[in-house]
Amino acid sequence: MRVRILRQESPDSSPYWQEFTYECSADQTVAGMLEEMNSLDDLKDAEGKKVPHIIWECSCLQGMCGACAMVINGQPALACETFIRNIKGDLITLEPLRKFPTIKDLAVDRSIIQEKLLQENAYIEEYKGSDSKEYDHQYLAGKCLKCGLCLEICPNYKGSRRFYGAAFANDCYLIETRSDVHKKDIKKSYDDHFAAGCSKSLACVDVCPMKIPTLASMAKMNRIK
Amino acid sequence: MKNVLIIGSGISGLSCAISCAELGMKATILSPYVSERAQSVLAAGGINAVLDHSEDSIESHIEDTLKGGAYIAGTESVKGLCTNAPDVVRWLERLGTVFTRENGEISRRAFGGQSHNRTCYCGAATGKQIVTALTMEARRFEGKGLIRRMIRCDFYSALIKDGRCYGAVVFNENTGKMELIRADALVIAAGGQNALFGKTTGSQLCDGYAAGRLFMQGVDLKNLEFIQYHPTTIKTVHKKMLVSEAARGEGGRLYYLDGDRRVYFMEDKFGPGGNLMPRDIVSKCIYETHKQVYLDVTFLGKETILKKIPEIYELCQKYYGIDISQESIPVDPSVHFFMGGIAVRNNHETNIKDLYAVGECASIYHGANRLGGNSLLAAAYSGRVAAASIAKSAEEKTASDDEFKDELKAAQDVLTNNGGTKDRLTVKYVRDMLAQIMNRELGIVRCEEELKKGIEDIEYYIGVADETVPDDAELPYYTYSLKAILVLAKAVLICAQERRESRGAHLRSDHPETDDGFKAPTIISYDDGRFTVTYDREGRYES
Ligand SMILES: Cc1cc2nc3c(=O)[nH]c(=O)nc-3n(C[C@H](O)[C@H](O)[C@H](O)COP(=O)(O)OP(=O)(O)OC[C@H]3O[C@@H](n4cnc5c(N)ncnc54)[C@H](O)[C@@H]3O)c2cc1C
Repeated sequence: MRVRILRQESPDSSPYWQEFTYECSADQTVAGMLEEMNSLDDLKDAEGKKVPHIIWECSCLQGMCGACAMVINGQPALACETFIRNIKGDLITLEPLRKFPTIKDLAVDRSIIQEKLLQENAYIEEYKGSDSKEYDHQYLAGKCLKCGLCLEICPNYKGSRRFYGAAFANDCYLIETRSDVHKKDIKKSYDDHFAAGCSKSLACVDVCPMKIPTLASMAKMNRIK
Repeated sequence: MKNVLIIGSGISGLSCAISCAELGMKATILSPYVSERAQSVLAAGGINAVLDHSEDSIESHIEDTLKGGAYIAGTESVKGLCTNAPDVVRWLERLGTVFTRENGEISRRAFGGQSHNRTCYCGAATGKQIVTALTMEARRFEGKGLIRRMIRCDFYSALIKDGRCYGAVVFNENTGKMELIRADALVIAAGGQNALFGKTTGSQLCDGYAAGRLFMQGVDLKNLEFIQYHPTTIKTVHKKMLVSEAARGEGGRLYYLDGDRRVYFMEDKFGPGGNLMPRDIVSKCIYETHKQVYLDVTFLGKETILKKIPEIYELCQKYYGIDISQESIPVDPSVHFFMGGIAVRNNHETNIKDLYAVGECASIYHGANRLGGNSLLAAAYSGRVAAASIAKSAEEKTASDDEFKDELKAAQDVLTNNGGTKDRLTVKYVRDMLAQIMNRELGIVRCEEELKKGIEDIEYYIGVADETVPDDAELPYYTYSLKAILVLAKAVLICAQERRESRGAHLRSDHPETDDGFKAPTIISYDDGRFTVTYDREGRYES
């Protein structure tokens, strides 16, 4: 199997493609494959040249922490949830998420997600009491990994200048329905930084590893006067 | 205003930071990644608290916890944990945690070793929902300037002078440099010791380095031999994954096959509640079958499975290719939780003044075996206890950076140190060997000879640790953390060797009986390469 990886030594250096030939079990995930490759003392590219180990982020290895989000064969996905058996053909390409600055190889700096939430005071402060009708939706919104896949795939998201994407919209929903304290402010932030820029491609819904119903979050937020 | 530095941003670190801010102190919380990546998000099953006194009681929670821990946890600390559990859960609820509810109250399920249903839960994502709520609350205080979050930073060492802690040296990945962060108190919230065993059910980010490094700096460690093997995990190609106790809480049954006949060995031995015995007992019983054990939930039916334990359904389908509404799950015990860690008193302070440890890296409530649902509780509770103690007793310090320039210089030298002579081993290789040794010698059942061999093997790697070849791509942390992790591993093996009895999660084939002579926590200390084990019979840490 051919594995092509877009590598980059540091935030300021230029990216370059490197190809490997690597065989691993069809039941392996892309994350597991990267671990296997990195466990080799001498990692060699397809031409037999020794190359540095591949830097990528990982923590849970089972789709629950969002660390290993990357672009796999052109599709944003979690590496630990992408199985080799589902790769079509014999080529795997791996790129870092392109909408975030690269730190090194496949590791990117996603701190902008947190910065925008901080800037917009995205917090509950005091829970106003439960609403059983909203439970399922809140539960799913509360599972957001802040992995960045929804931003990577979104045609409107261009590095957070004004439009902050689905991760932001779902947190707005969670805050709006669980807090009375700054309902108004969060609705305004939502209008300015989500509703005004979303063209409803809904690519974010399909790509979300937690299956968060962003469309329902939008419907709820848009209904608020 | 007092300044508190917190290492680690899982539930215990977040809880501590928020509590510090609530008490009018400034907290800096530092970790390599954001909280969403911490192991705490993996916790599925729930958090224990007695919310309904009609059948259950705090006394019963206390007794279950002490009994589950084979009576070597301190009664006072466990009392504090269980008595405050309802307040902790209410606090988490007030901050917006999305708890599952029934009839207007937080839902509770059965968990192992408990006499009543008292495990409060958020679907099958309790840890994640708590992290979401705590992260939002931390953000509120961040906006007010009371919490500062530092990402891409790793602990290097504590600043300790004359038995008092003044902050830490940390490696800042953003600048590539070691930095001094002075603080009026330092709180370690760095999680468990997973890296000792390579792959566990938990996160790669928990490596035990902080505990190992502090041990080398004179901090006592405790109960290291008690390592929880979770009875029901599945082995996939790339990880051991937990099948939550919730599966058995909902009625799941364990069996093995004798020919075609199913032997429900836990029920045969302990009656109808056998499948929900504490984890140490279930893992031991599985081990003793010497057979493949299965967990059956098929009789619940697909609808109930999808309603009650959907994440388990999805996990087994995705990573194991089986439909658990049709087939039983082949399960094996795997390393899951560390009862041992940094020794702390009831206020979570270590033997060094103003140095605290909270969450899984601290050893206090679980004795020889932890009950499911008690560690999320301990993580949230301990952060609050430490903050309250710091507010009360830590002094604002006037020391200057200059006083610690030697420590900083020594840390910086580590970054440029390229090891010694040629023919050296790589850091990766030594880490792999460490995991092999620990898995071999510290299985569910241990014996003197194997432990001795393990200690000798680890000693060899400690001897060459300073000479290893740094990885060409990994961060310096990966290399500089190696030696302390090896030292910690040796301490674990020594504690296991010294406890010549079987108790809780520590089983010895050569000492199969429980011996009351050992009915006390193990304390291990380090002095210039010498390891000393004592048993805290006088309750030094129980005050
Ligand atoms: C699969 C699984 C399921 C579980 N289910 C349950 C459950 O249902 N109920 C329950 O009670 N318990 C459960 N547990 C246990 C529970 O999740 C943990 O004990 C608890 O979350 C620990 O929280 P913590 O804050 O101490 O550590 P963690 O959440 O592990 O956080 C540690 C933090 O420290 C940081 N860190 C580590 N090393 C360094 C360093 N050198 N420098 C800087 N930062 C560092 C990490 O990046 C992280 O931010 C489960 C555990 C697992 C693995």
